[in-house]
Amino acid sequence: MSARTVDARGLEPPEPFERAMEGLMSMTRGEEMLLILDRMPHPLLRILDRDGYRHAEAYRDDGAVEIRITHS
Amino acid sequence: MMGPGLSYEDTPPFSAPVRFFLTAPLFGIAAGLTLVFGGEILVSRWTPGALAIAHLFAAGFMLQVMLGALLQVMPVVAGASMPAPLLIAGVTHVAMTLGTAGLAFGLGTGTPGVLLAGAASLVGGLAFFLSAAALGLRRGSKTGSNTRTPRDLRMAFAGLVVTAAFGLALALVLGSGVALPVPLPTAVNLHAGWGWMGWAAVLLAATSWVVVPMFQITAAYPQRFTLLWAPAVTGTLVLWTIAEFFALDGARIAAIIALGLLGAGYAAITLYLQAHSRRSKPDTPFLAFRQAMYAALAGVLVLVISLWSDADYWPILAGVLILHGGFGGTITAMLYKILPFLAWLHLTQAGLKAPNMKKLLPDTPIRRQLHVRTASLASLCVAVFVPMLAPLAGLVLAVEFGWLFANLLRVVRARRDAARSAGPRPGSHASA
Repeated sequence: MSARTVDARGLEPPEPFERAMEGLMSMTRGEEMLLILDRMPHPLLRILDRDGYRHAEAYRDDGAVEIRITHS
Repeated sequence: MMGPGLSYEDTPPFSAPVRFFLTAPLFGIAAGLTLVFGGEILVSRWTPGALAIAHLFAAGFMLQVMLGALLQVMPVVAGASMPAPLLIAGVTHVAMTLGTAGLAFGLGTGTPGVLLAGAASLVGGLAFFLSAAALGLRRGSKTGSNTRTPRDLRMAFAGLVVTAAFGLALALVLGSGVALPVPLPTAVNLHAGWGWMGWAAVLLAATSWVVVPMFQITAAYPQRFTLLWAPAVTGTLVLWTIAEFFALDGARIAAIIALGLLGAGYAAITLYLQAHSRRSKPDTPFLAFRQAMYAALAGVLVLVISLWSDADYWPILAGVLILHGGFGGTITAMLYKILPFLAWLHLTQAGLKAPNMKKLLPDTPIRRQLHVRTASLASLCVAVFVPMLAPLAGLVLAVEFGWLFANLLRVVRARRDAARSAGPRPGSHASA
């Protein structure tokens, strides 16, 4: 299944956070979302852990961060 | 469907950093009033009044904001949260506020007992804060970071320890006549140099690696530059310190010039990134940050001139340009971004619908305060050459910081009002 992509690069805070939260809130169980950001969102990762989302982070060659999130 | 909540235990309460942010401008006002009533105290960097103003500004304004911001920034940029943030904020804030007031009063009036007590309180507060920060960084996030910020924060803390150690030694010299292995002016220069570059500049750079691209929508700083900059600064400071202790004059001058070039390099690259920002129209804090970079470049130039000139006004002018123009400008610009963002974040975490950040603090009061800030910098520069104008420059300085205080208070009130009137945010179940 192809993941929905939310690209929140190049935006001034708090817009990337808001885009990420909007994406999370519209996810259904089992759905996957690919979040692309300019930097590692430590606060968001804590929210994902607390709320039981599965996630994997990777740095891209251009320095951006990709976070693959699954609504478990 | 239950959406993700926004509360998380690691974020310090709003009041933890805000107490530092609201206290800092009061020290700026005190610096201005010292200038108003102190007479021609800008004739030399060694007048009691000049020493008092330097500490009101560096420890009272800069250090307060920096430590307050670190409480909030460390969890975001380094995934490192301090344990018991309210306790740390409370103890550090009281110790630093009383300590800085005592230190400045003791220096300005030549009262050794007050000076020593102030220095001890300030250093005690810092030691408490740094212990907590070290613990926070040690148990920081394991997810890593695509910036050098966590490493450079550690280096800045090391720079602060050295600065505080020299400062405490100097307080002991002035307060109880303890002898030092180097002449007093050398120890003062090392204290100031480690404070400016080892602590403040490295911390500013460490924060900039994240905050400039984030808020000013620029490209990232070049990786090789961020890899080398802070270690180069710290390494050069060590070499300079050795050169000062062993009175190696050539090495001493080379190290000071190298530090100046490193500072200028940071400012130049920041200006380059800002010039290529993806922002369609720069906002006022962006312009203030840019002005601060130009002031820092001018300050470095004047500092180098002061190496070959015996005139008293060059070191004072360098201090004004670097401390007020450079650090003061960047700190003010960052405050105008950080505080509204924190207000928004805490409202959102509380499950409330937060107003737009521009409503929490509109651009107009920021722009007006920054106009006063520019006038303040210009009048301080003129007062360096025309000392009888120092009281007038002091008055403008006091107005600048009074206005900054009013603008920051406006954000705190807007957050309080929004918390009272806002409805719950859809999908939130947060409780913080």
